[in-house]
Amino acid sequence: MRHHVEILDAKTREKLCFLDKVEPHATIAEIKNLFTKTHPQWYPARQSLRLDPKGKSLKDEDVLQKLPVGTTATLYFRDLGAQISWVTVFLTEYAGPLFIYLLFYFRVPFIYGHKYDFTSSRHTVVHLACICHSFHYVKRLLETLFVHRFSHGTMPLRNIFKNCTYYWGFAAWMAYYINHPLYTPPTYGAQQVKLALAIFVICQLGNFSIHMALRDLRPAGSKTRKIPYPTKNPFTWLFLLVSCPNYTYEVGSWIGFAIMTQCLPVALFSLVGFTQMTIWAKGKHRSYLKEFRDYPPLRMPIIPFLL
Amino acid sequence: MAAASATAVAKGNGGGGGRAGDASGTRKKKGPGPLATAYLVIYNVVMTAGWLVIAVGLVRAYLAKGSYHSLYYSIEKPLKFFQTGALLEVGIVPSSVVLTSFQVMSRVFLIWAVTHSVKEVQTEDSVLLFVIAWTITEIIRYSFYTFSLLNHLPYLIKWARYTLFIVLYPMGVSGELLTIYAALPFVRQAGLYSISLPNKYNFSFDYYAFLILIMISYIPIFPQLYFHMIHQRRKVLSHTEEHKKFE
Repeated sequence: MRHHVEILDAKTREKLCFLDKVEPHATIAEIKNLFTKTHPQWYPARQSLRLDPKGKSLKDEDVLQKLPVGTTATLYFRDLGAQISWVTVFLTEYAGPLFIYLLFYFRVPFIYGHKYDFTSSRHTVVHLACICHSFHYVKRLLETLFVHRFSHGTMPLRNIFKNCTYYWGFAAWMAYYINHPLYTPPTYGAQQVKLALAIFVICQLGNFSIHMALRDLRPAGSKTRKIPYPTKNPFTWLFLLVSCPNYTYEVGSWIGFAIMTQCLPVALFSLVGFTQMTIWAKGKHRSYLKEFRDYPPLRMPIIPFLL
Repeated sequence: MAAASATAVAKGNGGGGGRAGDASGTRKKKGPGPLATAYLVIYNVVMTAGWLVIAVGLVRAYLAKGSYHSLYYSIEKPLKFFQTGALLEVGIVPSSVVLTSFQVMSRVFLIWAVTHSVKEVQTEDSVLLFVIAWTITEIIRYSFYTFSLLNHLPYLIKWARYTLFIVLYPMGVSGELLTIYAALPFVRQAGLYSISLPNKYNFSFDYYAFLILIMISYIPIFPQLYFHMIHQRRKVLSHTEEHKKFE
């Protein structure tokens, strides 16, 4: 038995579209595609369809006949605004710091005085810092392309401006000081640098291990959510104590980098990043608790036992 | 910009900085309990009194000196005390904490990080300009809150709060900008609050450049706040007119 679907504007209640002879097992995703045919400016990613004008968005996977609707389903439409894919945003926001840092490292003209153009620092730690920073962002780019499995395809377009300002701005600010001709190497010399490097490397490996573990949790093309558990990889044992060890390791990496460079802007960047990641971790932790009744009680969001 | 705190955060009828339990004239919202109300009334009365002290201090000093120059010194202490005290409003206000704290921080910045820190500007007339703007604004604003809490708001106070800003806000902003501008050469000369390379934290800060950035930030921020208040004025004052018709 075929359904009819009418789509109304959630704010004005204006009738935007009437679809007749829709198969009962049709998904919201298919309905969105049909809607786009009559309103091509609203591609599926920017459509939010809901049963109630003020209600939650229906998921793409939801099936029409499983929803509480009669033979004629009334759906309310809300425009989410221009959308951009997560992959695009990630690639842009990570490519920036990689490139920008190198501009400062190579002392490209007009940054420092002319007599320093294209000169090289005499401090080993400056070269090491460049390698670490570059490695970090190359790793992020590769993970975006080959490792991560995104729940959402897109995000609002304005996010890319906000995110890039943050990443690119901080990268320039840090790189300016680390690669400055008047840069002062760490107070405790090689000892400090070695310790910091160890922290950085361990946390980068840890962060990567978590990303791989999370990827394996979710089959390709799916959006399933499961509780992550420690695997044979010792870096994943942090799952015993925190919900989001990827964030824990990320903060650790930046603390390592801050100790290595002994640069206040790096410490500030770590602090801001930590604040944001804590907010995300708490949110994720809350979702896990809501969704899974048997969620391990020992786990904290981001810092073992504390936060 | 800081002078606008009168109604810059007025959403509907109350809004931001020190709205402190503002009960809008028409709809009866669930107000604070009796103890909280008592605290808020006392707070608002004390603040009204404080700014009146500043106003009176200015007038007396003017009459005694015979000129309006360098009156800052006669009200320096109460000004610092009561303006800094406004920090207490940030927690207790129902509306946007972000907006409230932004307003109070900018006032506190001007008092301490500019006027107090750069002694040479204390004799500038621009200081008097913003002090007068703030004083009149705050006396009206705090009495507005006091009367609102006691559910007896004279129309005159409401009108004053939502009208005088039209002149007081630009006046205050001018005073603030001129004062910051006057401070610049002294900041440069003394290297005030600035740190340069090399140093072991690999960090630098140029307070002179920072102040210039602050001045530039007035350009996008001031019009937004000003027109928001004009919008609020239309909403609030036309609403009252409708109710007056039924009296």
